[in-house]
Amino acid sequence: MKTFLNNSMVRRFMMAAAVLAVVAVMTGPAGSTETPTAGFTGSFSERSSFFGFFETVRWVPFLFLAVVFFGLWTTWLARGTQIKSGVSKVMAVPRAATERRPVRWGIGAVLLFVALILPHVISDPFWQAAMVEQIAVYVLLAIGLNVVVGFAGLLDLGFVAFYAIGAYVTAWVTGALPMPPLFGIHMDPFFAIPIAILIVMAAGIVLGVPTLRLRGDYLAIVTLGFGEIITIFANNLYGITGGSQGSSLIPHFSLHIGPIKYAWGLTPVPYYYLTLIFVVLFLAAFSLLEHSRVGRAWTAIREDEVAAESVGINPLKYKVMAFAIGASTAGFAGVVTASQSNNIFPSSFTLSFSINILVLVIFGGMGSIFGVVLGALIIQTGSMYLLHTPPAGYQSSDLYIYLGALLVVMMIFRPAGLVPSRRRRREIVLSKAGEGHPDEVLTGDEP
Amino acid sequence: MTDKIFDVDSVTLRFGGVVSLNDVSLHQNRGEILAVIGPNGAGKTSLFNSLTGVYQPQEGTITFLGRDAKPISIIGKKAHRVSSAGVARTFQASRMFSALTAFENVKIGAESHRGIGVLGAMLKGPATRKGEKASDAKTVELLDFVGLTDRANVISASLSYGDRRRLEIARGLATDPQVLLLDEPAAGTNPSEKVQLTELIRKVRDEMGVSILLIEHDMKLVMSLAERLYVLNFGSVIAQGTPAEIRANDAVIEAYLGASADETKGA
Repeated sequence: MKTFLNNSMVRRFMMAAAVLAVVAVMTGPAGSTETPTAGFTGSFSERSSFFGFFETVRWVPFLFLAVVFFGLWTTWLARGTQIKSGVSKVMAVPRAATERRPVRWGIGAVLLFVALILPHVISDPFWQAAMVEQIAVYVLLAIGLNVVVGFAGLLDLGFVAFYAIGAYVTAWVTGALPMPPLFGIHMDPFFAIPIAILIVMAAGIVLGVPTLRLRGDYLAIVTLGFGEIITIFANNLYGITGGSQGSSLIPHFSLHIGPIKYAWGLTPVPYYYLTLIFVVLFLAAFSLLEHSRVGRAWTAIREDEVAAESVGINPLKYKVMAFAIGASTAGFAGVVTASQSNNIFPSSFTLSFSINILVLVIFGGMGSIFGVVLGALIIQTGSMYLLHTPPAGYQSSDLYIYLGALLVVMMIFRPAGLVPSRRRRREIVLSKAGEGHPDEVLTGDEP
Repeated sequence: MTDKIFDVDSVTLRFGGVVSLNDVSLHQNRGEILAVIGPNGAGKTSLFNSLTGVYQPQEGTITFLGRDAKPISIIGKKAHRVSSAGVARTFQASRMFSALTAFENVKIGAESHRGIGVLGAMLKGPATRKGEKASDAKTVELLDFVGLTDRANVISASLSYGDRRRLEIARGLATDPQVLLLDEPAAGTNPSEKVQLTELIRKVRDEMGVSILLIEHDMKLVMSLAERLYVLNFGSVIAQGTPAEIRANDAVIEAYLGASADETKGA
């Protein structure tokens, strides 16, 4: 029996079948209170078409898919996931950074060009709005969380808190809250950007200094709690935040510098370009940061905190810094969202929001800026597509089932993400081979 | 009176009821190659960890006379502060940043004492560029010093044991230390690597003027390298002196062989 289970082919087939069984249940019929198991049994016994060829029960096409999946896994996907070949691959002498630079710049220029012309190609108002609210802003949030999770190796489950603070600061300085605005002046949301970033960074430092001494799971719990606390505050401090009704009076951005006068309005495209400018700025700043001494210090702490301390790196200082930098992007995203949608509600700042951003980072590749951007684009476009043209029986809350399943599959096949960061991939492969310390974000182990 | 660099006075370190260091007093002179030997579990690594701020002894004082011979108390300081004061170390099982190249490992040591400068790093201003250049130059120099120039771009996890020891020494030296603490540098190395390592350690002291404090099990290496030794057993100093004196010391022989010299002779 034991040899049977240890047979890797059998195990792979079992796993492929299990994955497809989950997909079958996810896409299958829903149960009801009278027939609670119907959702499960119906997923396999209901009649459906076999890819349009003939009529059969549902488990037949899914078993077929499981076999195909298994075949792909054993032949193509498995290459490079074996630890042995993985180690020799990551051990190869890395090419100098200067060699890769032209290629990266090339890809970046093409992507930027596509991003610039995209609003002129896509005219569907749903997609134009989604490009700002659900894609550009989420890209920004993902590259911010990547600094915390990917660079510094800190698992932050309360990222939404900083986003909420950014949004509420915007409402405050523009005079849209019951609380009187700063100096009694109703300012333009542009002024909210520096104020929000400063306040959010301060919040990051205040939360970070006592809690970043904790490791792995403990830090995740504390940040999770912080996210909840901010939402509860927003919900209950009627005199300050407006309570559960939030605020609906936040003005749009507008520019008045000498002869230049421009006001952002209800159309999403100008907001898209505004967000794009900041995405590009943050991308440039963070990729320089990654390859600076700060980025190397983060890597050192992630890999071996004791050794990092022994060469004079203060881990707490660097962790707090990562926390504050990540928080500032979330704060900025909060300003953009608040001003673009004109309103904020405490109910939109939920734990699932934080989880959503975390999924973008893990899916894309923790620590890899390019991967995280790509991951955010793919997942957010996909979830917007599901919302826009939902398959039969799809409800918007089903999204998290899909995201969860996607994460499970990613962890099995590409634990380092879609486009892994070189350092991260080396860490994962080496720790599997018993070399060095696996990262606490992935394993929960103390280094 | 000779110029001291480390002065350890009646240090006691306990973990719950276990006494790891018991009233240990010792000192190191500036520019000296000093060794601490003793059987397994004698408290050698605990002593190192206390000297570098990793452990905090409950009693006693540890004074480090670093740059300008200014006395600094080690107890109560965090490890990174001790490193900034001028104490570098290596680890018993070498602790590299295994996913980084040899070059990056040393560079991290070279740049860790400069201010953080996040804004400078994000904008890549002239000061940041200058700092990068300086650390690159220092890294190249140190890799050459320990003889790892041709391995600079190799991922540190794929280096041999001997090369890892050298890399750890280079990383420690990159922090501009006054004293370098080596925890069993010869463990896991082959005989020819041992010879090279001995030469390297001596070169660090002679050419860089860095004092060396050494823990080692390889007696041949210790006796040829150290100018003075302390012997620890069950957390206490049982002997000190020159290599020749230690070789002839009855208490040391007893600690290592488990019976007193007289008993051995009598039997």
